Amino acid sequence: MTGQPTPRPLLALAGVSRSYGALQALKPLDLTVAAGRCVAFLGVNGSGKSTLLRIAAGRDTPTTGQVSYDGRPLQEDALVTRTEIAVVGDARSAYPDLTVREHLLLGAVAHGAGSRAPDLADAAMTQCRLADHANSLPGWLSSGQRQALQLAAVFVRPRRLLILDEPEQRLDPGARRWLAEVLVAEKSRGVALLLATHHVELAEAVADEAIVLLDGAVAGRGTPDEAMAALR
Amino acid sequence: MTAAAPAPIAGLDVPDSTDATLGLLRELRRGHVRKQAASLAYWLYVGGLVLLIYGGWLVSAVVLALRHPPPAAADAVALQRGVPAGLCALALALMAALVWDARWRGPVTVGQPTADWLLDTPVHRGRLLRPRFRTSAVTRLLVAAVAGLVPAALLLSAGLSGVSARSPGHSVRLAGAAMLSTALLAVLGTGLAALAEARPGGPPRAATPVAALAAVAAAVIAAIAATAGLPSAVSTILLWSGPWGWAAQGPVALSGGAAPFWPAATVLLAAVAAAAVIAGDRAAATVPAAALRARARAIGSMSAAVANLDNRGVGAAYRAATGGYSKIRPTLPMPLRRELVLPWRDLTALLRAPSRLAWATLLALGAVGLGALAVHAPHSALLPLAGALALGYVAAASLCEGARLDADDTRRSALLPFRYDSLPLWHAIVPCLVLAVVGGVPAAILAVAAGRAALVAVVAVVILVLVGGALVNAYRGAFEGESLASGFETPFGNTSGILVVSWYLTGPVLAAGPLILLCDRALTARPGGVTTVVVLSLALAAWLASIAARRARRLRSS
Repeated sequence: MTGQPTPRPLLALAGVSRSYGALQALKPLDLTVAAGRCVAFLGVNGSGKSTLLRIAAGRDTPTTGQVSYDGRPLQEDALVTRTEIAVVGDARSAYPDLTVREHLLLGAVAHGAGSRAPDLADAAMTQCRLADHANSLPGWLSSGQRQALQLAAVFVRPRRLLILDEPEQRLDPGARRWLAEVLVAEKSRGVALLLATHHVELAEAVADEAIVLLDGAVAGRGTPDEAMAALR
Repeated sequence: MTAAAPAPIAGLDVPDSTDATLGLLRELRRGHVRKQAASLAYWLYVGGLVLLIYGGWLVSAVVLALRHPPPAAADAVALQRGVPAGLCALALALMAALVWDARWRGPVTVGQPTADWLLDTPVHRGRLLRPRFRTSAVTRLLVAAVAGLVPAALLLSAGLSGVSARSPGHSVRLAGAAMLSTALLAVLGTGLAALAEARPGGPPRAATPVAALAAVAAAVIAAIAATAGLPSAVSTILLWSGPWGWAAQGPVALSGGAAPFWPAATVLLAAVAAAAVIAGDRAAATVPAAALRARARAIGSMSAAVANLDNRGVGAAYRAATGGYSKIRPTLPMPLRRELVLPWRDLTALLRAPSRLAWATLLALGAVGLGALAVHAPHSALLPLAGALALGYVAAASLCEGARLDADDTRRSALLPFRYDSLPLWHAIVPCLVLAVVGGVPAAILAVAAGRAALVAVVAVVILVLVGGALVNAYRGAFEGESLASGFETPFGNTSGILVVSWYLTGPVLAAGPLILLCDRALTARPGGVTTVVVLSLALAAWLASIAARRARRLRSS
């Protein structure tokens, strides 16, 4: 017995599919992700990546199959979901009259940081290169900085599962390298990651397993290299 | 600013951050809230001023009518018979509208930033959402109380303020009863709407179409009762059939009708409204985050469209929020001649939006009905003619969606083998043909049956003119906000308001305005006179087509 013990899955999708009328956006798929592991999804636009991530976050209901989180059926409105699953997805709107720091303070306090909130907000701003924009209103930020604010909002809250839908969007190459480092650090802290991306380099740097989706079906699966080879 | 050690939430090792979060948000947004309050106060002041300056006569007329109600009209007895069912119809329509609103908006809503920053946190949903429900309930209660004056004013203006007890005090009591009933109905509807929002498949939402149909049925019963009469038992059954009937009883009794136990009915209504609002308050906490997010998005898009006076944007936001796009996708055979490309596209789009076709048919039939009324009373035809042409114009406009789509974005038609300024003519074909079928044929049958076969030609040219007017509006382009600043001051106010009105109404005014006079003349003229009317109407249609083409050209070059 030389193999490592299989870690208990944090999130499990069994036979999950999603149809919109006659269109099957996601064909039946099984997936598990354990703490400290990352599964990346690659594929062209419309291949079903975002649909899958929405289901994994509890924000959409699968047509068939079950989704469980920590052994229980996943429900978006359940307290455990709100407390432990963090999502970086569609552009997050912002209060036009609150500064970057105030937004992060609000996020931290809402997640129960209490008196640690200012420290968490400042650390997240530093980590996401927003320290110089602490007192900027959202309307003054570039699209890349707004994306950084989305990521910073994740770092002020507790999380066991982090779901990221194309987090590299609007980030420059340097920021993308930084993003890879941050996500690797998240894994090492025991956070499970689901990542949809168009950047193979990001998947290679972070993911333990990659799944290539094509027309809602799995076209390749394995390490990022194996998955891409299967696609080619 | 923040509690050092918030109490944990029961059942989970998560600190309850609700108080700290809502307190922090209040503190951070204090300036913004103050600014909003100042803005609201300013607009209330402006609204009050406008009402005082331009609507002062209306207020004084209402006060005068309340103090000295007019005597009963000649047909007051007939009207009196229709009042119970008529008020039930209004009450049902109000309730259905409030619950229908919960399909896309509802009484429990949060702004987009709140949806994005607070819904995925452990903040207590009830404490976040219930204040919003309560604000909605109070707002709707106040608006409904004011709206309750409308049925009261209608009853008073018909002289139905109680035959035996017509006095200023009595009129005020009637107005008060109508306001109270409407306010309670609004509270009841708001409570049901919150339940519908929390449980989309629940009974309130499922019952909404039934309530709408019941409102139509009650309106039909009211019309029959007023014209032919019905046994009084029908009114009694309607008035005790549910909250809608209980709400009607006060105004019915105080306008001289038979509802002797109306105080008991009002108490019943108040009890049901209270129960609904309590249930709604509880349900507010359980509205799913996904629904709140979708509503926040819809309201955001709609607010932006309203701010830009973009009524098509408002429609698009509403359809996106309610899933109002048809799932029916019929396909017509592709045309082989290039002249048929645009009619084919317009017809396909129309078949894929059957509600648009149904709506246009209903409006056209309404126009035919009013037109028939004008034919039967040619010497007092102006009012029914105006109504008929207004309905006909709206029907024509709803059939011109293809033209509006091309005007929204001139790139859409870039690949077509036509000059852009000729597109209005191509887009006129389908609306003209459809109107000819759904409105023209019934109108022609009625005209022939009435022995006025010559009017068939008038009906045909009226269709051309109405479609021409609709195309003039379709190619008006987006409203230019800066034109609001280009008005000048007059003793009656700034003229920029006229620009807004003309932007909306150029098409209908240019089409329907002259048509009223021409049609009125056609009704009283001899056959030779009808020919003149037809020729003048054709000239009007051609003129409108040239305006639409000019507008299209300008749109293309802008």
